[in-house]
Amino acid sequence: MSEYLGEYKAVYKAKTACADILGKAQDGGIVTSMFAYALEAGIIDGAIVAGPGAEPYKPEPMIATTIEELLAARGTKYSISPNMSLIKEATRSYGLDKIGIVGTPCQIQAVRKAQLYPIGLRDVPDKIALAIGIFCMENFPYQGLYQMVEDHCATKIDNVKKMDIGKGKFTVYTERGATAEIPLKVTHKYEQPACHVCLDYVANMADISTGSVGTPDGWSTVFIRSKAGEAAFQKAVDAGWIVAESMDGVKPGLELVEKLAKTKIDNNRAYLEHRKHEGTLLKPLRSPYI
Amino acid sequence: MSKVVEISPTTRHEGHSKLVLKVNDEGIIERGDWLSITPVRGVEKLAIGKTYEQVPKIASRVCGICPIAHTLAATEAMEASMGVEIPDDAYLLRIILQAANRLHSHALHDILALPDMYLPGTDSKINPFSPEEPVRSVAKRIQTLRMIGQTIGEIVGGEAVHPSNPRVGGMYKNITPRAKAKVLDLAKQALPLAREQMEFMIAVFENYGKRDWAEMCGREVAIPKDLGYHQQGYMATDPMYGSSSLDEHPTWDPARWLEVRPWDWYMGEEEITLEDEAYPVGGTTKAGTKAWPQMQACTGVPLYDGQPVEVGPRARMSIFKNYDRKGAIGLNIAREMEYMDSVYKMIEAADALNTSGSVVADVIPQGDGSIGWASNEAPRGADVHLAKVRNGKVEWFSMLVPTTWNFPTCSRALTGAPWELAEVIVRAYDPCVSCATHMIVLDEDNKLVAQKLLE
Repeated sequence: MSEYLGEYKAVYKAKTACADILGKAQDGGIVTSMFAYALEAGIIDGAIVAGPGAEPYKPEPMIATTIEELLAARGTKYSISPNMSLIKEATRSYGLDKIGIVGTPCQIQAVRKAQLYPIGLRDVPDKIALAIGIFCMENFPYQGLYQMVEDHCATKIDNVKKMDIGKGKFTVYTERGATAEIPLKVTHKYEQPACHVCLDYVANMADISTGSVGTPDGWSTVFIRSKAGEAAFQKAVDAGWIVAESMDGVKPGLELVEKLAKTKIDNNRAYLEHRKHEGTLLKPLRSPYI
Repeated sequence: MSKVVEISPTTRHEGHSKLVLKVNDEGIIERGDWLSITPVRGVEKLAIGKTYEQVPKIASRVCGICPIAHTLAATEAMEASMGVEIPDDAYLLRIILQAANRLHSHALHDILALPDMYLPGTDSKINPFSPEEPVRSVAKRIQTLRMIGQTIGEIVGGEAVHPSNPRVGGMYKNITPRAKAKVLDLAKQALPLAREQMEFMIAVFENYGKRDWAEMCGREVAIPKDLGYHQQGYMATDPMYGSSSLDEHPTWDPARWLEVRPWDWYMGEEEITLEDEAYPVGGTTKAGTKAWPQMQACTGVPLYDGQPVEVGPRARMSIFKNYDRKGAIGLNIAREMEYMDSVYKMIEAADALNTSGSVVADVIPQGDGSIGWASNEAPRGADVHLAKVRNGKVEWFSMLVPTTWNFPTCSRALTGAPWELAEVIVRAYDPCVSCATHMIVLDEDNKLVAQKLLE
């Protein structure tokens, strides 16, 4: 338990053992291989993931019920994918009984809130079998992301092979081998304003939360937070889908995760404080936490 | 010298209704009035000026027991007015939905009807909530059947109560192959349970029909052999699904329908002269109270060929399958006999469904104000909705729901029964009162403004 990292049972440095998945994965391919294993093992019968949308890097929520569909959704798309919008449909015309869902910390909060107060979500709460959260500093509306790539990075978004945020930089890799990098400072004005009231960096409410921060390239940091998450992760490791190692001695390690979490949460707490005095007609802006 | 007794409210059915009964010295009903006292919903007036997409959703909110029937009837009334033909796969999805609704509603009725009945071979009434066998496994079976009906409704209709998937022109979404497999699995699971349930319930009802007395108010009340018999006709439009004005051979005719005021039909003001504190629950209305059925009734009285008719399971069975049992027991048995059909229909329709087929009509005309009607065979009987749609807006909307038809018919069926058993007859109709409540328009002289349908 840590003030900034939430409650967790264990933390690992991990990556997928499956070459197919690692090929186009963002970091360690943890989300894809956890869902792929869970589908194989019957822990879930479908997963709500951010699939490819109509435009490049514009995610569209989709329900993957096969490993092929999961593979199509590999990799991070730094824009908004309203995965919760499918949670009810998954239990209806898709006929799922055990749903996996991946989401940013705010989306995982929505999952848990929906389970606590299932208004308009009859017969949904008991069908959520595995919620995987991803580390999230902030998110970009598609128009903002488009501008960052096309204008700041001077790259056609159709040609982008991978996008990455790390080490203080936003990096774009193209099909033709070129790399464009801009400092994160430039990207701040494109962030969603709503991200600045968020007090969760590592998806504290998820069964498993994962992200690249804290582990070397090609690996992911994985927090195991619930019994369901612990059981599923352990089985995936035992079945050889995932390689997991101790976080002891890993550089930069948990200190960096904690440092970034602290930065986000402290900044956003300050912004929440600021909102009390900001606003039109001397009226404070509403606190989202009351 | 006849006395007047009032049972208000009646219990173990949906909605709010009461019985005002004139009885002779032996306690036998000479004239019975069963009337709705549920306040008016006003759905038909709310519908005016709304889009044709909104009205079926609003109409389904009239009740939570058969919202599927109301959604389908209202959707198809819009389609009938606008002349929309829906794709086959959308029709199959609607049939599955319809059968799922019937399965869960009939199972629910069993729970409500059982406490009047006796365990065969004993003199003890059935408490469906008792933990003792054999009742406990019956209760579990009922709940499993309801779970299956509701889950299938949820998959196909998007929502177990108030389905979101049906739309004018078909359905919003087809289901996935996995969902189809789940529907088939659930229906197969229901098949043996429905058969056992049907056989158990028929045995229980037959046993009641053979009994000489039933215990009521702490005394033995003789059960007449003609409990709930009436001489009225039947009205049904289809054994399973329904009919509409778009059909080549419609099975309902609006020209034969007439609605009259309760004022002309029910008793005038009466003083209650008989009371019984032992009547469950809490006794009948106190003597000296006034009852005024013709003022208090919240329904119109619909007539078909100038007479009240019965709708519901027995009407369907009589018209389409030559069923001929009369009375309250005959009606209950007819309902049980519909269990198997609803499960088989689900399996057949799911088998025939193409999960990649289109479920929305290519062309949806916006309506020219002509009248269209659709009848849906709800669990309780024919639910006829009528609509006029012009340029996408609903100009006029009317709901002729099953229990509205059954109120006057059942009132006649009460004659000749001991008043203590009046509710047993009422419950045989599986009444669902809240949707049966209607606004009627009166002119200055308190006369019903004639509703000219076909101009």
